Amino acid sequence: MAASLVRFVRGGLGRSFNIGRSSCLLQQQQQHRRQSSTTETSPTVRAKDAVTHNQLAVFGEYVAEILPKYIQQVQVTCYNELEVMIHPDGVVPVLTFLRDHTNAQFTNMTDLTAVDIPTRQNRFEIVYNLLSLRYNSRIRVKTYTDELTPVDSAVPVHKVANWYEREVWDMYGVFFTGHPDLRRILTDYGFEGHPFRKDFPLSGYVEVRYDDEVKRVVAEPVELSQEFRKFDLNSPWEVFPAFREPKEAAPKLEAGDKAPEKK
Amino acid sequence: MAGLLKKTTGLVGLAVSHTPHERLRILYSKILASLQTMPQDAAYRKYTEQLVNERLTHVEEEPDIEKLEKKISCGQIEEVIFQAECELNLSRKMSEWKPWEPLIEEPPPNQWKWPV
Repeated sequence: MAASLVRFVRGGLGRSFNIGRSSCLLQQQQQHRRQSSTTETSPTVRAKDAVTHNQLAVFGEYVAEILPKYIQQVQVTCYNELEVMIHPDGVVPVLTFLRDHTNAQFTNMTDLTAVDIPTRQNRFEIVYNLLSLRYNSRIRVKTYTDELTPVDSAVPVHKVANWYEREVWDMYGVFFTGHPDLRRILTDYGFEGHPFRKDFPLSGYVEVRYDDEVKRVVAEPVELSQEFRKFDLNSPWEVFPAFREPKEAAPKLEAGDKAPEKK
Repeated sequence: MAGLLKKTTGLVGLAVSHTPHERLRILYSKILASLQTMPQDAAYRKYTEQLVNERLTHVEEEPDIEKLEKKISCGQIEEVIFQAECELNLSRKMSEWKPWEPLIEEPPPNQWKWPV
């Protein structure tokens, strides 16, 4: 099977699963009681939820087995989040499968966003977060693209994707084919560039100000009035008084010389 | 008779079904028919056939709607019908997409490596 299952298991899965769930809970309660009575010495580490982790891993394998054409990798993160990495051609099939299949029913798209990692060959990562109300579980689908390659729009599958994709187009410049109305959503009229790209300067390219002569707001290319500023980072307090260096003694004046004028 | 007494499902846009058994039987047989077009070893066909057959036997064995809902344990019978409709649409699309084929393209190296 091409899709490989990567599990982030950090040991400690030794707890046996054959004991019933209720007895597990009881044991945990007893442990809590014991801990509260004595002083707590163990470090505050996130409690491992091996049951949820295993369920997610099994479901991830199930999805990967059904859709080997599109799924490149499946992983469960250390925070028990199921992530499915897919080829960009498989956006619509994978999302439709997760929505319509009886064992999945991820009918709700909670978020769609992008990540910009300029060092990669495909610099944009598109992330779909889905929620299944029936099984009370979440899944994250990830795919990739670069500046020029369009991605299939998820609007035919999830209507919410409409504004999310407009936002991704506005902020990152990823083009979605088949989107009914792909235009900017957050930036101003006539804005140029995609502000969430890592190579977009923090100050932007244009600045707007009110011009009193023409009586309107004008947009101009950014001019930084302060080109370079040198900061004095020395503390005003004396840090090591024991190691004080003697100040340079003022040059001694001869009797005939005049003292230098004080400013 | 429970179907006649039931006034509403309590869910917007989901009407009470008066003949759920008949409807489910039709839908499940359609799903099974569309699964026949897929290759035998396709994982989707295998798992869906298993699931649908299990539900179909419940539908044929249990005439009482409330008991049937408990046996299927996936919500009200109207929701189960909706799930079957979705599955039917999906199975028809699946035979177009053919997702049981091998992976189209491997990811570029280090595409999924994190931290970079």
